[in-house]
Amino acid sequence: MDLVKTMKGKMLISLIAVSVASTVCFTFLVVNTDAAEQPKTFLTHSGALIQTTGDILDPVGYTGKPLEFNPDKYLREFSYGTVSKLPDGTTLREFTIIAEDDKIMEISPGVFYNVWTFNGTVPGPTIRAIEGDLVRVHFINNGQKPHTIHFHGIHKAEMDGVFEPVGQGGGRFTYEFIAGPAGVHPYHCHVMPLEEHISHGLYGAYIVDPKDGRQPADEMVMILNGFDTDFDTENNFYAANTIPFYYQHHPIQINTNERIRVYVINILEFDQINNLHLHGTLFDYYPAGTYRLPSTYTDVITLSQGDRGIMEFAYEYPGKYLFHAHKTEFAEKGWTGLFLVKDSLEKIKQYGEK
Amino acid sequence: MEEIKKTSKIMLIASAVIPIIILAGMIAYIFGPGANLLDFGTSLPEITIEKIDFLDSKIVATVRNTGPIDVEVVQADVNDRIQPAAIEPSKKLNRFTTSKVIIPFEWNEAEPYEIGLTVSDGTRFTKSVLAAAATPVPNFELASYFAVIGTYVGIIPVMIGLLWFPFMARMSKNKYKFFLALTAGLLLFLGIDAIEEGLEISSENFAGAFNGNLLVVTVVIISFLGLYYSSEKLVSRAASSTMTKPIAIGLMIAIGIGLHNLGEGLAIGAAISLGEIALSTFLIVGFTIHNTTEGIAIAAPMARVKPMIGKLAAMGMIAGTPAIFGAWIGGFSYSPFTAVVFLSIGAGAIFQVVLSIINWIRQDGEKTLSNAAVASGIAVGMIVMYLTSILV
Repeated sequence: MDLVKTMKGKMLISLIAVSVASTVCFTFLVVNTDAAEQPKTFLTHSGALIQTTGDILDPVGYTGKPLEFNPDKYLREFSYGTVSKLPDGTTLREFTIIAEDDKIMEISPGVFYNVWTFNGTVPGPTIRAIEGDLVRVHFINNGQKPHTIHFHGIHKAEMDGVFEPVGQGGGRFTYEFIAGPAGVHPYHCHVMPLEEHISHGLYGAYIVDPKDGRQPADEMVMILNGFDTDFDTENNFYAANTIPFYYQHHPIQINTNERIRVYVINILEFDQINNLHLHGTLFDYYPAGTYRLPSTYTDVITLSQGDRGIMEFAYEYPGKYLFHAHKTEFAEKGWTGLFLVKDSLEKIKQYGEK
Repeated sequence: MEEIKKTSKIMLIASAVIPIIILAGMIAYIFGPGANLLDFGTSLPEITIEKIDFLDSKIVATVRNTGPIDVEVVQADVNDRIQPAAIEPSKKLNRFTTSKVIIPFEWNEAEPYEIGLTVSDGTRFTKSVLAAAATPVPNFELASYFAVIGTYVGIIPVMIGLLWFPFMARMSKNKYKFFLALTAGLLLFLGIDAIEEGLEISSENFAGAFNGNLLVVTVVIISFLGLYYSSEKLVSRAASSTMTKPIAIGLMIAIGIGLHNLGEGLAIGAAISLGEIALSTFLIVGFTIHNTTEGIAIAAPMARVKPMIGKLAAMGMIAGTPAIFGAWIGGFSYSPFTAVVFLSIGAGAIFQVVLSIINWIRQDGEKTLSNAAVASGIAVGMIVMYLTSILV
């Protein structure tokens, strides 16, 4: 009898112990305690002060940490190709573009995304030629899916990069056309599903200079893009040149009273429109850069996917000026940057040499 | 003799342990280092935002890794707009661990908010709040406010219900049976109500990893068994002590209802702290009316003994005061997990009480339940509860 009693008692106790233990275990489950750590103080890009003993989730981040993609370098980097003269005097510009689709890139601090790239970056290289040049693009597809390059501009049907998918694993194709018309044009992969190929990053800028050139200026390229990292057909991140908030943290340095020329292309997938607003000054805007007269003098342009143009402006007063999507949702998800305007006699190096 | 006993004991232990060793070996073989038998598919990260607190100029989200793999939380947003934030203790979350994400943000009272967290593969997880309200900070004023509400909801209605005691004490046997059955019906309803509530909270707040529904079932059964065991002890000992059997049953009912009221207090405290102010007003009015019936449940089994005002009052307190503790817990440190556990304990306790009442009815007469008074009593009990529950 006693035994039974104690057995019962033991069972009851063990039952209670198990339930109490599991409750405690679930309720207070392992909160990593590093109590001894000193609090860090951190000023965010929005001006808020954060003090924490833990980690900082900073959308700007990147202090001292090199990026796989450098928006500063991309901004003013133009690829003129390997130049030679044909017997008839035409300038031939040859480019090699390699497509890949297996890179994982940190597109925002801590956020890793499978980017599909032309020459290893999103956007691909900025191709630049003079109206009338013969452009020859040697395309190699080292990806795992078929890809093409579709250049906007005037060319033969078979050079359109739509009906000639270039096979994966080393497929090749040579695109050839006479550069024109003068202006700024996008190029992108045109393999179906198009949305997938563009949203993963297969695009870039193609600039055609007029024969007589444009006025000297501090020139730069801004491709307005975004990333849908959770594949719900809505962008999680927006940017000018891929990295959210990058130019807000690393302002683009320009001089007062110097002509600034921005080649801007909106390639943003999923959203109907994008736009751009410049603070502190207004700009002449040349849609597609094809006419020599500006269509408007404004501080906001609205762009649908594929729309592009040339902005020209100068700052009278030094200081920091924002540029961002006036669609504030995009601005607050990364499409925000700064110009740092300086009174300086030293001109920023002119790119533009042909 | 001793030798034999010893070896047989070793044998016994060995026979218990050997299967475990084999199982461990097999698991090591399948999942251990170098094993690639089950290396297919992709494990997706999953985090659950369990709680959102609105504090002075900041929003604090408590996040738990409820997925199959370790994750890193890398970005926070408010209403889908990226915000700088801090995460404590670490942005790296091992399985089942939690961190707090602190977002400096000037939030507006009573507006809805969605808090989003993005993990390193770019997947965003969210939780919405219907109306932002400052999370109550534990202080004496608020604690006494919750105590007052707990008193209104728990103690006073139960005491009002107990006032039916003289009425029940003077009724005929059949009517008395009706009232006992009515009590069983009331309680049955409360038990089912608590389970439903627990399932709802678990499905809204728990990640799949926690098997919320099975947690409810497990806790209900354990609570039932625990109380069943201890009440049998109590009732069987009642014979030998000054406590009579009706009092023992009354006490068990009071304990069961007390556990249930803890859950109710939890719901009210949580509703206030989560900013659902209108809801909590309804909860308070509804529970107050609803809980009056609980007094009847306690009074009914004791109606056949000499009235003992002190004991009745004590039982009223046992049944009612947990509402205060519940309000404190719910208001100051609400977690869906504790809410589900308490609700389930309450449900198990209630079912145990229903069982004792039914046994009591059967022993107190012709040992059958097929009796008009009993059947109608249970039915009326459930209907009354249903109607008063509409108020909640």
